[in-house]
This record gives sequence, structure tokens and C-alpha cells, in this order.
Amino acid sequence: MELIWEIAVSAFLVLAGIFALVGAWGLVKLPSPMTRLHAPTKATTLGVGGVLIASMIWSIGSHGVLSFHELLITLFLFLTAPITANFIAKANLHRAAPPEDLPTLPEGQLWAHQSPGTDTSEAAFEDKETHRGG
Amino acid sequence: MSLGLIVLLPFFGALLPGLLVRAGRDTAAIGAGAVTLLAAIGVALNAPEVLRGGVVSQSLPWLPQAGLMASFRMDGLGLMFAGLILGIGLLIILYARHYLTKQDPFGKFLSFLMAFQGAMLGIVLSGNVLMLLVFWELTSLTSFLLIGYWRHLPEGRQGARMALGVTASGGLAMLAGLLILGHVAGSYEIADILAAGPAIRSSELYLPALILICIGAFAKSAQFPFHFWLPQAMAAPTPVSAYLHSATMVKAGLYLLARLWPVLSGREEWVWLVAGTGLLTMCIGAVVALFKDDLKGLLAYSTVSHLGLITFLFGLGTKAAAFAGVFHILNHALFKAALFLVAGIIDHAAHTRDLKRLGGLMRLMPLTFLLAGIGTLSMAGVPPFNGFLSKELMLEAALEAGHAFGPLIPVAAGLAAAFSVAYAGRFLIHGFFGPVRHDYPEYPHDPGPGLAISPLVLAGLAVAVGLMPEPIAGGLVRLASGAVTGAEIDTHIALWHGLTPALGVSMAALLGGAVILAAYRPLARGWAATPRPEARLIYGQIETGLRRGARALTAWLLNGALSRYLGVFLVVTLAAGVWALGGAPGPETRPMLAVPPGVAVFWALLVLGSACVVAFHRTRVLALVAVGIVGLMVSMAFVYLSAPDLALTQISVEVVTVILMLLALNFLPKRTPAPEGAGPRAWQMGAGVIATLTGLGAGALSYALMRRDFAFEPISDYHLANSVPGGGGANVVNVILVDFRGYDTFGEITVLGIAALVIYALTESLLGGPASRRLIAWTPDQARAGDRHPLMMVVASRVMMPIAVLVGVYIFLRGHNTPGGGFIAGLVMAIALLMQYMASGFAWAQARQKIYYHVLIGLGVLIAGFTGIASWAFDRPFLTSAFGHVHIPLLGDAEIASAMAFDLGVLLTVVGSVMLALASLSRIARRAGGEVLSGLPAPHDDDAEDRR
Repeated sequence: MELIWEIAVSAFLVLAGIFALVGAWGLVKLPSPMTRLHAPTKATTLGVGGVLIASMIWSIGSHGVLSFHELLITLFLFLTAPITANFIAKANLHRAAPPEDLPTLPEGQLWAHQSPGTDTSEAAFEDKETHRGG
Repeated sequence: MSLGLIVLLPFFGALLPGLLVRAGRDTAAIGAGAVTLLAAIGVALNAPEVLRGGVVSQSLPWLPQAGLMASFRMDGLGLMFAGLILGIGLLIILYARHYLTKQDPFGKFLSFLMAFQGAMLGIVLSGNVLMLLVFWELTSLTSFLLIGYWRHLPEGRQGARMALGVTASGGLAMLAGLLILGHVAGSYEIADILAAGPAIRSSELYLPALILICIGAFAKSAQFPFHFWLPQAMAAPTPVSAYLHSATMVKAGLYLLARLWPVLSGREEWVWLVAGTGLLTMCIGAVVALFKDDLKGLLAYSTVSHLGLITFLFGLGTKAAAFAGVFHILNHALFKAALFLVAGIIDHAAHTRDLKRLGGLMRLMPLTFLLAGIGTLSMAGVPPFNGFLSKELMLEAALEAGHAFGPLIPVAAGLAAAFSVAYAGRFLIHGFFGPVRHDYPEYPHDPGPGLAISPLVLAGLAVAVGLMPEPIAGGLVRLASGAVTGAEIDTHIALWHGLTPALGVSMAALLGGAVILAAYRPLARGWAATPRPEARLIYGQIETGLRRGARALTAWLLNGALSRYLGVFLVVTLAAGVWALGGAPGPETRPMLAVPPGVAVFWALLVLGSACVVAFHRTRVLALVAVGIVGLMVSMAFVYLSAPDLALTQISVEVVTVILMLLALNFLPKRTPAPEGAGPRAWQMGAGVIATLTGLGAGALSYALMRRDFAFEPISDYHLANSVPGGGGANVVNVILVDFRGYDTFGEITVLGIAALVIYALTESLLGGPASRRLIAWTPDQARAGDRHPLMMVVASRVMMPIAVLVGVYIFLRGHNTPGGGFIAGLVMAIALLMQYMASGFAWAQARQKIYYHVLIGLGVLIAGFTGIASWAFDRPFLTSAFGHVHIPLLGDAEIASAMAFDLGVLLTVVGSVMLALASLSRIARRAGGEVLSGLPAPHDDDAEDRR
């Protein structure tokens, strides 16, 4: 394998390592769940992405073959990471965020994570129906 | 007719009445009677050979490895017993047809009776002591059913239980005795045991074998101190009593004593044990019988007494005595069966069997009086009836024994004879003589022919044997007693022996009996005033004590605390492990492998994950997460150890398990409550120590195993070598699953499908019962979030669905040669479907379900089964696989194996099972509230239905 390929692979690996390290560090150091959420989802995505790019470069450089497996893994990562983050954020809002801390909404509307069942007013009930319908 | 068939006939016959009784009670009786008659003809066909002095035998291998042959054998003794069983059985069927009322389930009665008859025939025709024992216990069981036939009567149930308890536990003792006997003789065949007589008698195991066998025989034949069950069994319908207590059940013990007479008799212990017990029983039974007011009670104790008489005769150990014993078996069967039937007739006509309420029946029931007269005089031993003949022989034997063992024996025998005269006289005089009374519960009358024929035949035989003993019974009894003693018998029976001492004793007994009867009233008062131990009550106390003890032990062992059960298991396992391997497991033959740092890290994580499960087990969700982590680590280990199949399986099973457990957790407390009654702290610490030790022990065992070569050649080499040439697949794991051990897999998918169906059935019954109301009223223990199905997740999961299914198909298709296969593919597809349930809601997914999961399971099992059956078409055994190469246009060469079809069955079953379990859980969720099932809007109108 030529030196240039090796340098490219090494560079991406190092970059990926830095991102992974930053992600891990953030997971430990960031103050609240909502901020901590960003560390693994974003930084680790980039870190794994770097490893995957390095892998692709390596297979071109050493075998002269373009490997698509990594692209698939990337695709799945791009699918799962945001959904996971979305769920963690929702769960956190549901369990830990007091309603009065949230920005105020127009009368009769609820945040998506709030249960309409808790409000028994007529308006809330109708909203529940529309919410379901929407 | 072959002997085995004769024995089986009544068992077949037991099936008939249940079917025939719908066509009427007569039809059922005729059916049962015809089978009995057929069996009797079968016996008669074999009789000439036996009468010539031969032994008919038949042997079929049953469990030859265990020395158990289904061998049958009929000699003179067997012939006599078989004749009695079938002949009296036929008469009993006729009698019972007219005795039982319309309310009694007649078909059931006949079925029990036929089964009992078959078991009795089995005892007397068995050629192998182990088979004899099987039939022996069968008679205990079937007699239990017969005695408890009137199950609405508490006495019936009680008597049946007591009979079963006593005779079946006696049978257990006998089993031990017969095993010893077979061990000494070196064979369990009766013919071999009979031939090994001297060896057995000189063996030091003789005494234990004798005692154990005698316990069994005495329990069955109601000998003291096991006699008490017989009078209790009188709660049975009279035909049952007549059959069980005259000709069959109680004679089984005597049959055994007679059968083993050549082997066991001849030592002094035999005489003391058997003759002593017999004499004691004869006296006790005779005395108690006199003071019984119930006709059947009187007959029951007289039966006990007569059984004692026969036991006494066998116990004396002389040929003449054995001859007398065999003769009395025949005589007793005839007159006692007749008397029981007479008691039944009186009960039927007068609606009472109480001697105090009877009397004067002679004029009202002349025919019955005649029958009762013949029976009682025969029982009392009055000439010229048959009972007199055998009693004379008995007294002769007793007098002879008196010379050897002292005068007590003839005195006791004479006393018993006198009492026997007295109670027989009481039956007749208190029942039939005296003035006609006006206070019978029902006005008595003579029976119709249906009830009368059977006792008439029996009484006629009793008279005939009495008058012409030689032409009618002599040959048969000589033959039977010849079979008992194993030697020629040349005794001849005659009514008149001349003026012998026995005749003198007999006359004295007659006189004495008359005196006792004359003094009945003061004697009865004295008897009532005498305190005496009641064996029945003692047995009841023992039984209650045992039951209490068992209950206490059960309550102590099984107190419902799972941790205790687990503790017991673990301690025992640990102890067994230490005991088995605690010594030296041998030298370590395999080197230690290097541990790379990455592996060490994984190992540490695994340990950490397991520790987390222990630490957080109270918080169930957290514990579940930790369990999931451990599972992932295990699949990583499989990857590292080059087991991709296992890793794939593990990871998909892990996902499915966690999802299903989360679903179930929805309805369970989120925290494990502290166990009630966990005991003091020390106890809990002890549990921890046990758990730790067991874990360490399992680890040590694995370590010890992995550091050593296998003791035997492992089978994996065979699998590796034959996978491609034999199974046509390079993936050995898959070839093992679908080919080498395909039959196992077939069983496993069947079990899996059944398990899923059971979950479904449990849910179904849960939703039908009171739990349903609880579910409707159920409120979640946690606040519910509003946006249960976020848009991103829904869209992503729906987009992923085809890809995930495609992955499943891919894994399935390549499974035979590269990691994959039906099982993993099924799990992957199930996960693809699970995702839809999770993302879009149960209702949404359920509404789009096209095929029922039940159908998938059934289809899977069927496809796998038919794949196996298909190999029959090529004259190959079940599940033989075939494979070949085909050329598919565009795709090129492909290998097709029949195992693929089998694998498809596996796939379908797995998908169906997982999804059925999920759907069952989701049904609970739907019942618990509409909120859970609210899904995203569907493009169709059925969404409205979903929401309901």
C-alpha cells in the first residue's frame, strides 16, 4: 500500500479517535441530560463515520476495491442516532422537565410529549382528538 | 387360544360395556358375559394339556434386557383359579345385571369388573413374578374402583381407600420380596424360581424374602393384622363383595402362597409365620363374625376366618395339608359366593341386612332359605356338604400338626370350627327362623330368576361336590395341589372316612357351636362390654398421622419461596459437584491461551454488567438493561470465538427477549418488592454465599473442562467431516440443525409452537375471567407520555421494514453454507415485525396483519413434517435429506437441499411463535386501556375501529 493511502487512513482514524474521545468526555462532563445527549449522538456518529471512511480508503488502497458495506453502516447510523436522541430527549422531557419550565404555548395546546389524558377540560379533550387525528 | 390372549380378553372386554351400555343394560351385560365366556372357552381349550399333567406356557420378549418376559404359564393351580375367576365372574355379571338399579351406572360397573377380572387372570396365569406383580397391583387398583363404586357413600370411598392403601402397600413389600427371590434364583421366571427351591431355602436372604412376600400375601388375603380392610370393603355393591371376597381378590394372596409353596415351605420359619398367622386369623375372624349383626359383616369376618384356615393349611407344609388347602379354596369360593349373593337378595328384598331386624324369612322366602341353608351348612362343615369334606381334612392336618407342635394347634382349630358353626347357625336361625315379623323395612319376597340363578348354580355345585367329591372335584384338586407341591398327590376325598379322631373333633365342634349359639345373648352382652383394639381405627390413626406428616413436610419444603427451592437445588448441585470432582480431576492437558487486552476489557465489562444486574435488581427496568448488556457481551464473545451463527442467534434472541420483557413489565411493578419472610440478615447472607459458591463452582467446572482433553472422541469431528459430503452444506451448525439432528429440531419447533399457543391460551383465559375486569380498571403506575409514536420513528421503521425482511430472506437463503439459517432468519423477520408494533402501535400493526400467527406456526410445523415424510417416498427413513445443483437462469448455479424446505418450516414457526407471544401481550395492553393502542392515522377507515 502506498504511503499516501496509509497517511489518509491514519488521518481518518486519528480524527475518529478524537471525535470518540470528545464524545466520551462530553458524556461525563456535560451538566444536564439534555446537553449530555449531544455528546454520544453527534460526536460518536462522527467518530464512527471516520473509522468507516478509513476502512473504505483502506480497501481501495490495499485491494483496489470500492467497499459499500461501510456506506450501509453509515446509513443505519444516520437512521438510528437521531431517533435514539429523539427518544432520549422525549423521555427526559416526560420524566424530568416540569411543565412550568417549558415555553408557554397558545391556549389549549400541549407539547407533544405531554399526555392529553391529564387535562380533563373540554378543550383539551377536543385537542386530544385532533392530536390523534393529526 | 394363547394364554396371553386369554389374559388380554377381559381388558378388551372392559372397553365394550362403555360403548354397549347405550344400547341397553342387557346388551352391555351380554357383551361382557360373552367376552368372559370366550376367555373361559380359551381356558377350556388349554385344559386337556394341563389335565394330562403338562404345563402350558407362552413367552414373549417384553423387556428382555431387564429380564422381564411377558411369559404366561398355566398348570393345575392356574387352571383351577382361572376356572373359578371366569366361572364365578360370569355368574356375577348375570346377578349384577338384576341387582344394580337403574340409577347405578352399569357400563362403568362392568368395565371395572372386566378390568379386575383381567388383572386376576393375569396373576394366576403369569409366568414371571414381575409381571405377576404388575397384575397384582392392577387388582389393587381395579378393586379400589369396584369397592368405591357407590362413590356417593362415604363408607364406600373410605373402604376403597383403605383396601387400596393396605393391599397396594403390601404389594410394595412383596415387590421387594420377589426381587430378592429373583436375585437368589437368578431369574424372574416362575419355572426357574420353582426349580431353585433348595438354593433359596439355604440362602441367608430367605428370611427377609419370606417376611416381605408374606406381608404382601397377608395384606391381600386379609390375614391378621391386615384383616381390617376386608370388612370395610363391604360397602361395595354385593356382587362386588361376592366376587372379590369369595373367589378372586383375597384368594390372590393364597394363590401366591400356594405358588411359592415348593420354594418357601420346608423351613421352620415358614410354619411359624404362615401357619401361626393363619391359625390366629382363623380364630379371631370366627369369634368376631359371631357378633356381627350385618349379614355382610358376618360373612366378611367369616371370610377372614376361612382365609386364615387356608393359610394355616399351607403353612403346615405337608402335602396332605396343602391338598386340603387347595380343596378348601374351591369349596369356600362356591359356598361363600352363594352366601354373599343370598345376603344381596335379602338386602334387595327386605331393604336391610341387619340380623336384628330380620327373622322369620323362611316362610316368606323359601327359595332363599334353601340357598342360605345349603351355604351356611356347608360353611359350618355339616355333612354331606362340601365344606364338611375340607374341614375334616383341615382337622386331620391340625391333629397331625399337634403331634409335632403341641396340642394348642388342634384345640385352636377345633375352637375356630365351633365358632364357625355358631356364626353359620346364627346367619340361618336369626335370619330365617322364628315368627314372621311385621316391621321389615320392605315386605320380603323371593327373587326373580335373574337374581336366583347364580346362587342356585353355586349352591348346586356345593351340594354336588359334597355328595360326589371324587368324580366332580377330585381330579382337579389333585392336579392343582400337585402343582402346588410339585409332587404326585394320591389322597382321595370321601364323605365317609370311618371313625377318625378328626370326625370326633368335628362332632364336638358341631355340639360346641350349638351351645355357643344357644348362649348367644349373654355372650353378645359380654362381647359388647369387652374393650378391644380396633385395627381399623389404628390404621386410621396411622393414616392420619402419615398424612399430617406428609403435609407438614410438604409445607416445610414447598413454602412458596422460590429462593428456597433454588437454594436447595444449588446446594445439592454444589455438593454433588464437590463430591464428584472434589478429588483430582486429572492433569491439565491443554495449554492456557493468551488473553489479549481487548478480550480482557470485554470480560471486565461482562463482569460489570452481571454485577449491575445484582446491584440494581430491585429496579426492574435497569436490571433489564443490564441483562441486555450482558447478552450483547456474550454475542461479542461468540464473534470472537468464531461462532457467527451463535452470535447472530444470541443478538436477535436478546433483542426479542428485551422487547417482550419490557412489554410485560408495562403491567408489572417497576420495582421488585422486598421478599416477605426473607428471614434474618444472616439468612440472606447465607443465600448470597450459596449463590456465589455456585457461580464459582460452575466457573471452576468450565475451567477444568476447558483445560483438559475430552475423555471420549468428540462427535464434532464427524460433523465437520460429513457436513459437506453428507449434508450438502458448508455451514456445519445449520447442517446439524436441519439434517444431522433434524429430528431434534423438529421436536423443538413443535415445542416452541406449543409454548406460544400456551401463552395465547393463558392470555385468552386471563381476558375472560375476573382479571379482565381488573385490567379494564387498571391505571398505569407511571404517567403516560403523550406522543407515544413519534413521527421519525414511525417513518424510519416503515422504511426499514422491507430492508429488514430482505435481510431475513438473505440470511435464510445463505444459511446452509454461510452463517444464517431458518432460526436466525425467523428471529430477524420477527424483529422487523416487532418494530412495526413498537413504532406504530399494536392496533395499527394488528389491523394490517394478513395471516394469523397460529396459521404460521401450524404451517411451519407441517412443512417441516412433510419435508421429513417426503423422504418416505424414496424409501428412506424420516427426514433423510437430499441435495443437488440446479442452474437458475440469470442467477447461475445454485444448490438446492431438501433441508431448505425444512428450514422454511423452522423459520415460519419461529416467526409465528414470537409474534403470537407479542400479540398476546398486546391484547392485555389493549384491554387495559385505549391509550396504549392509539396509533398514527391509517390510510383506511378501519382506523376508527382500531381506536375502540
